[in-house]
Amino acid sequence: MKHLGKKLVACACALALTGSMAALAACGGNGENDEVRIGVLVSDVSGEEAVSFRNYYTQYIAEQYNVTFTYTEQLNDSASEIAAIEQFAGQNYDAIISLSANDRASQAEACEEAGMYYAIASGMDDTIYETYKNNEYFVGQIGPSMSTEYEAGLAMGEYYADKIEDSVAIYGAFIPNPMHVYRMAGLLTGLGATYGGATGEAIVGAIFADSGVTASKISLEGKTVSYLAGFGDSTMTEMGTIIATDPDALLSVGMATTFFSAMLNEAGIPYADIDSFTTSNAANMQSGTLEYLAGKYTSSIGPIFAAVYNAVQGNKIENADGSAISISQDYWVATSYEQFEVFQTSDSVTDPIYNKELLDTVIGEDVTYEAFEAFVTTDRTPQA
Amino acid sequence: MEEVLKSRSGDAVKKQKVKNIIIMLLPIAALVVLFAVYVAIILANDYNLAINLETIVNQAIVLVLVATGAIFIFTLGSFDISLGASTLFSATVGILVFNATGSLLLLFLTCIAVAVACSLLNSVLSSVFHLPMFVMTVAMLSVLTSIAGTIITTNSTSAGANPAISVSDSVLRDILGSVDTVWFKVLILALFAVVCIFVFNFTKVGRRQKFLGGNPVCAKMTGIPLSVYGIIAFVMAGIGVGLGAAVNVTYTMSVSTGTASDIGMSVFIAIVFGGMPISGGARSRIYAAIVGGFSYIILNNILNLLLSSVDGRYGYVQIISAVLFLAIVYVASINYRVKHLPR
Repeated sequence: MKHLGKKLVACACALALTGSMAALAACGGNGENDEVRIGVLVSDVSGEEAVSFRNYYTQYIAEQYNVTFTYTEQLNDSASEIAAIEQFAGQNYDAIISLSANDRASQAEACEEAGMYYAIASGMDDTIYETYKNNEYFVGQIGPSMSTEYEAGLAMGEYYADKIEDSVAIYGAFIPNPMHVYRMAGLLTGLGATYGGATGEAIVGAIFADSGVTASKISLEGKTVSYLAGFGDSTMTEMGTIIATDPDALLSVGMATTFFSAMLNEAGIPYADIDSFTTSNAANMQSGTLEYLAGKYTSSIGPIFAAVYNAVQGNKIENADGSAISISQDYWVATSYEQFEVFQTSDSVTDPIYNKELLDTVIGEDVTYEAFEAFVTTDRTPQA
Repeated sequence: MEEVLKSRSGDAVKKQKVKNIIIMLLPIAALVVLFAVYVAIILANDYNLAINLETIVNQAIVLVLVATGAIFIFTLGSFDISLGASTLFSATVGILVFNATGSLLLLFLTCIAVAVACSLLNSVLSSVFHLPMFVMTVAMLSVLTSIAGTIITTNSTSAGANPAISVSDSVLRDILGSVDTVWFKVLILALFAVVCIFVFNFTKVGRRQKFLGGNPVCAKMTGIPLSVYGIIAFVMAGIGVGLGAAVNVTYTMSVSTGTASDIGMSVFIAIVFGGMPISGGARSRIYAAIVGGFSYIILNNILNLLLSSVDGRYGYVQIISAVLFLAIVYVASINYRVKHLPR
């Protein structure tokens, strides 16, 4: 009898839970009819850049336009990306903006199947773009193209070509991630190095063929090159060994400021990275040894919102041949703290470069591709 | 006096039978209620019912396939913590074979063969080294994750933070897409469930495994070898893992180091939600995996829908799921706290 009583209590709790769920559901709703609802796929939920992107959308854009952004949890693989898209589709979302790159092809296919507009707020592999550019629901991508990634690496390499006297350490981040491969090819070219005999953009193919960088294939005349990539249990130890050789600089194609800042600052090794204009990077440049940073800025994801908003409102902007847009955005480069500070103060969540006034110039029924492309490619780099 | 005693005894047996039936039906009733609530929320919000139902199947299918096979292991009173790693490893080898051959049949056969081999290795090594199977699976978890991680990292084509092997050829993607349908997945699950139910309920395998799980000493003394039925259990679990891995590849068309990372724990929760005691034995049921797996996924989706506008909702979903898990285990355990062995 005692047990039966406990069971009844448990059943009552379950019924209460069910009832409250139903009540909540009834109180809920699908939002206002004309409200635009956008799901945002993210693979990073806590990084400083990711948080500033999120705040720009949810605290600035959402306040200025009749739009709701719903962020996913941290998406670690293709399955979680597709599941998130299906859930957004099931809740009648209008569009998806992707900041997660585990499997862009599957994302595009899932959105097409669900009939939701899909856009990428960063660069994407040219092959995948070519495959899906005529997809009815693919709005396009705005972010550094692979060519821009190569140029970013090239500029870093050229900046250091004359500064390296004896030895250089190179961090390959997550090669064979295409973005990092292109940056690496540019970096080696800028330094004047060859990779297995390959030079220039041919290095891209050589790295892909090796499924990574083979350190012994890097040749930089008269100088020693140390190479490290990835991040695992032994990475910090390996980086410590490299730092002990006292290289002239550590040049990274990504993530070095996240992983190695403390070690490099402490050892007094100058370093360069491609990342973003965050508070921690400001500190690294002001009081640490970070001396070159190519990066994105908070409101750089404004234009892709404008493209998505237009598409949802019935004006999907397309290239002249009717395919989805693919417009490259350049990085800003800071080589001094003063320059960094100007970048930081010029673009914030409350006072972004891509503010409502500017975005409104490309939001509307009559906006053409030419006008939109000019809008995105206009150099808005703040001047000191 | 004797008649009164007989009558009382008969009443007690009847009451016990009714109680058993109610207990057996409770998880199914819970699934029905959860499903009804889920559909009610969708209709009340004017959401797309078809897409949401498809989402449930897509999210649940791999978990249910793996859990159904794992019932055989749980019945023995053991459990395999390497199920997720085994799924990852099978899917990794499977996608490499598929990328090389373009054959769906080879994809499924490879995934099943690799998963069964991993399972057998678990079972055989635990026999050779006289280690508890659970301990062996802990070691396998580490080994399989590392090997799969190395293969994925060295063959990665992903632009994301996590290395991944994808099917990038459009022709091959079309082949996978052709079987990435709800009906195909349900068919695979139905066939596997029928095989499992047959082996479990209509052959001596299930009966003896329940005996081994309920009272291993007694079972051993009656001549039932744990090693033989352990191997059978791991083979069946391996088939479930292989099917789950192959279906996962057809769905996501890629395998990353994060693939199936939560399967191990989810299987555990699903089986408990399905009303099966975690200690295995006589109350083990194949349908517990199916009922529990779908209940768990539907519950998660209900919570996601209800908390969709709440920041940090995924944390809340996990907490509420954990509380419900504990509540179910508690309610179930009330029933097991009897003075007699379950009959």
